[in-house]
Amino acid sequence: MSPKKEVLLKIRNLKIQGYSDETWVDIIKGVDLTLHRGEVMGLIGESGAGKSTIGAAAMGYARDGTRITEDSSIEFDGIELTTSTESERRALRGSRIAYVAQSAAASFNPAHKIIDQHTEAPLHYRLRKRTEAQEDAMDLYERLRLPNPHEIGFRYPHQVSGGQLQRAMTAMAMSCRPDLIIFDEPTTALDVTTQIEVLAAIRDIVDQFNTAALYITHDLAVVAQMADTIKVLLKGNEVEEAPTEEMLSNPKEDYTKSLWAVRSFESPQRTREGRECLISVKNVDAAYASGPKILDDVSFDIYEGMTVAVVGESGSGKSTTARVITGLLPPQKGEVLFKGEPFPPDYRNRNKEQLRQCQMIYQMADTALNPKVRISEIIGRPAQFYSGLKGTALKARVDELLDLIELEPSKYYNRFPPELSGGQKQRIGIARALAAEPSFIVCDEVTSALDQLVAEGILRLLDRLQNELNLAYMFITHDLATVRSIADEVIVMQHGKVVEQGPKDQMFKPPHHPYTDLLLSSVPEMDPNWLTTLLEERGVDNIGDAAAANIDPDDAKIAP
Amino acid sequence: MTIFVIGYYALLLAASCAAAYFNKRAAFMLLFSLTLVSFVVGIIGGAGALYAIAVAAGILAMMAMVSYAFREFLILLAGKETAKELRTAPLTAAFGMFIIFTYVIAGIFAPWIAPHGEAEVISSAFAPADANMLLGADQLGRDMFSRLVYGTRNSVGLSLTATIGAFVLGAGAGLLAATKGGWFDQLMGRLADVIMSIPSLIFALLMLSIFGPSMPVIIVAVAIIYAPRVFRLTRAVAGNVVVMDYIEAAKLRGEGTGYLIRREILPNSTAPLIAEFGLEFCFVFLLVAGLSFLGLGIQPPTADWGSMVRENATLISFGEITPLIPAAAIALLTVAVNFVVDWMLHRSSGLKE
Repeated sequence: MSPKKEVLLKIRNLKIQGYSDETWVDIIKGVDLTLHRGEVMGLIGESGAGKSTIGAAAMGYARDGTRITEDSSIEFDGIELTTSTESERRALRGSRIAYVAQSAAASFNPAHKIIDQHTEAPLHYRLRKRTEAQEDAMDLYERLRLPNPHEIGFRYPHQVSGGQLQRAMTAMAMSCRPDLIIFDEPTTALDVTTQIEVLAAIRDIVDQFNTAALYITHDLAVVAQMADTIKVLLKGNEVEEAPTEEMLSNPKEDYTKSLWAVRSFESPQRTREGRECLISVKNVDAAYASGPKILDDVSFDIYEGMTVAVVGESGSGKSTTARVITGLLPPQKGEVLFKGEPFPPDYRNRNKEQLRQCQMIYQMADTALNPKVRISEIIGRPAQFYSGLKGTALKARVDELLDLIELEPSKYYNRFPPELSGGQKQRIGIARALAAEPSFIVCDEVTSALDQLVAEGILRLLDRLQNELNLAYMFITHDLATVRSIADEVIVMQHGKVVEQGPKDQMFKPPHHPYTDLLLSSVPEMDPNWLTTLLEERGVDNIGDAAAANIDPDDAKIAP
Repeated sequence: MTIFVIGYYALLLAASCAAAYFNKRAAFMLLFSLTLVSFVVGIIGGAGALYAIAVAAGILAMMAMVSYAFREFLILLAGKETAKELRTAPLTAAFGMFIIFTYVIAGIFAPWIAPHGEAEVISSAFAPADANMLLGADQLGRDMFSRLVYGTRNSVGLSLTATIGAFVLGAGAGLLAATKGGWFDQLMGRLADVIMSIPSLIFALLMLSIFGPSMPVIIVAVAIIYAPRVFRLTRAVAGNVVVMDYIEAAKLRGEGTGYLIRREILPNSTAPLIAEFGLEFCFVFLLVAGLSFLGLGIQPPTADWGSMVRENATLISFGEITPLIPAAAIALLTVAVNFVVDWMLHRSSGLKE
């Protein structure tokens, strides 16, 4: 942060209130922020910390049901946004301040071609003629390393992959050459391999045009790559702000230190010795309806009391494998054995005992718990259904389960899921799975929707339960940090094939399969120079999807 | 200048000034614009017009007060959760609930409220209103008020039963179709298309002329006519619910269709279904009244609002409002139900002011 630079955005004493329970409650409690031209500031914090709210406020925008209090000041390039009129503010948005949303797929209008949406802003502000704007769009696509830059804009959003769409969205934000871009978790929904491409592209383009940016994320490693300064937020308050290097090497506040230390949890690795084989997937092929083959000759074993992590990018067949095991998708070929006995391929043909053994915990706790059913029934129903518990015995069992997941029974017994936080909901999801007294649980990306601190709590809980109840987990994830902390064995999948499998300690040591190597190298690290180093090592064209496309699942292992 | 006119303007002006003084913008605009309008109306229409405005404003104020008091009454009676919901009800919804409440009381206690019997002839035909007969007599000399009260029972009761019938049929089929999917879904969908393709009044007339105009036939015919609409809505709402993970979790647990529908899907689709129930009830009510008006609905001497309009229709040419009274009863109930439904729709859709 050089003091010579011109101040672009100056937020002073920002207070934003939200209306709930018939009173105005402070969401942002007086945050100051100064952003200079060409500077990238990372805003990090847990969900509910007010990151996105501040991002929106930087455009002078308060979401429905919230308001910016009168004593706040938001000054963008000398224009006071809190007192300016709505039309003045609108004139800034899109032309001088742009916004890149978390889900590009949801933010593009599916009914228009990408380039038409791209050129909308320049045409609206009469900055360029249509053909010029289109040429400029293609130029931006090329700079962002999108494949076929001259053609890709004429596709509709659904014809483009997620990572490409996110880059197209960044290009769109750039279309008027704004002074400030607000990135609201642009890579959170992407795979590690795709994320790295988007990160590299965003960083380059922000550098090239000397654009200032607010980069909102909850991933510390990502923000370390992108930002010049980092501001840590907690529940609407600023915890601390410092240049990236200083923040990483020498955080001052305890809360920041705890964020930094999140990835420290690691459960001791278990081995197969003395354990029985619980689930055995044998040569499974599977496809949806008459579509292409999703799983191709997948085989692996899961031993009792052990955690098997299945990693791979989206579309690699991880979740489909889980659906085959649970019986939601009967395989075309091959079979699933449970303790040596074949499991009926369709869950409808399984008996209660077989259904009980195999439970599932879902990624989105919001959709996995019925919002209109009380916690007591959500947890109590499996106990009642499988074990026939009733009355006080059932209540005692629910209390026991709530104790097990570290939630106070008397407090949560009669609540409804929407009254709980994300982490608590996920715990209820775990309790529901445990209520059936299973021996095997499929955990489908259980921590990917949670903040790091909360996710760590869930991982610790799962690990503790595993030791106490001798559970086997099939842990589906794309986050290798999670794998490192909880897995005993790892299976790497690509294009529906198992490319590599083995105990964790071997998997994290070379030689790797090239795809495993790509996955491992794509995980952002805390080192702020990580991305630069990686790009130098691998070259810009050998990262992300482009690199993955060159790898065949049958390739031989390589040592780096 | 009578004292009434002076008092009228004085009151309005005082109220406007008070509103302006206390910075109540909306109230001031309303009161002062009413004052300005009153100047014009007073010049053109004289004291009589002002009197009419005063009466109308008085009635509106009375209704608002009744609604407000009734809402507070309900809040006090209801449990903690319901009371919280009721607090969000606008005055219109409270008014609707009050009207529905009144109708329900009138329907249940009809024999005690009505001063005369349903089919009792007590005076000459079309006798004017007097102390004994509040609303005068109908074409056979029966007490109009008593018949109106009894009509509540028949008309509302019939429509309610028919609507419930339509909901049991439609919602049941819709939930099953959404849960089962496949051929059952297709079959039900096409069946609904077939029923919807027949004009409803023609279908009802056909059924009634084949089976004769009796209560059960009317109920079944109307239920069948309205079931497809309910089916479509239910299937659409439930279709969004069955794809959720918690349904998958319940299926994997091995739950049967009955449990899935009752405990998992239905609680998540009740809000739109209740709103739809209110709307359908109005349509059914109007259809039943229409059938009665055509002479194919409830048969004499049973009192029914639709047939009461028809029987007294000749009186309208003499400038009497008697035939409009049952019509007004229908209109009032429809409006009241819609007020309540609007509020519920508003809540379930999560829209803001």
